[in-house]
Amino acid sequence: MFIIFKEAFIGSFNSVKQIAFIVIPLMLVMEILKDMGVLDKIAQLFSPLVKIYGMKKEAGFPLVIGIVIGLSYGAGIIFQSAKEDQLTRRDLYLLTYFLVAAHAVFEDTAIFMAFGVNGLLLFVTRLVVAALFTFLASRWIKPDDTLLQNSSEVI
Amino acid sequence: MQDINKGFSTSTLKRGIMSGLNITWELSKILVPIYFIVTFLKYTPIISWISNLFAPIMNLFGLPGEAAIVLVMGNAVNLYAAVGAMASLTLSIKEISILAIMLSFCHSLLVETALAKKIGLSAVKVIAVRVALAVVSGLVFNILL
Repeated sequence: MFIIFKEAFIGSFNSVKQIAFIVIPLMLVMEILKDMGVLDKIAQLFSPLVKIYGMKKEAGFPLVIGIVIGLSYGAGIIFQSAKEDQLTRRDLYLLTYFLVAAHAVFEDTAIFMAFGVNGLLLFVTRLVVAALFTFLASRWIKPDDTLLQNSSEVI
Repeated sequence: MQDINKGFSTSTLKRGIMSGLNITWELSKILVPIYFIVTFLKYTPIISWISNLFAPIMNLFGLPGEAAIVLVMGNAVNLYAAVGAMASLTLSIKEISILAIMLSFCHSLLVETALAKKIGLSAVKVIAVRVALAVVSGLVFNILL
């Protein structure tokens, strides 16, 4: 019994330590990049992509926020910019389709990298699959100009 | 000069470290108990029942039967729980990579589907898409890796 307890204690401690060594530096770098306005620049790189989907180019910013920060923490910012930039209902659907396949990619990738997974492979696969999947969805969902009317609708 | 350093200060560093520590703390709260439970399970016959039960499905992805615990934890709870189970089982890098890609596409179904529903997407569709992406990526990674 003591041996099992010891195994669980040491094993879980080592796992947390391994993850902390990757996640803390990564979050530090991300915070620095955010404050240097890099997210806005990345969002601009995404505007050709969102245009292919037939979305407004402003959708690039909430998309990048979701990809980088994730759904749980990013949801507020995503809804807010969706309203400010007058995204259509279709834009928001496509945005969400992309994000359910790929969100919080840095944090998630970092956690698995701590266990020896090839982070680049994981990262690229996720983004490429999300992009292709959203492309297919964009052909299915017809153009729609309905705007998001009020906040109670989405929140 | 001011443009390059736009808004960058020691508070940036503090926030970065705090958010890293916060993730590590939130993760530990879930990872550690799950790690303990799965480690204890490994010393009971239950683990081999689970393993035998799920082996036929898991083998399609090149995974041992007990890896089903990792997928169930990831979807019913979240990625932190999945990682806790994954770390306590003895798995190869290939197996961990396959689990990682499957879980990346499909995890925390309860919480995240609720979010997608708020936006107006159908819960059934979102879950179907995510499970399909996980299954296909698992099959493909098993062949390619």
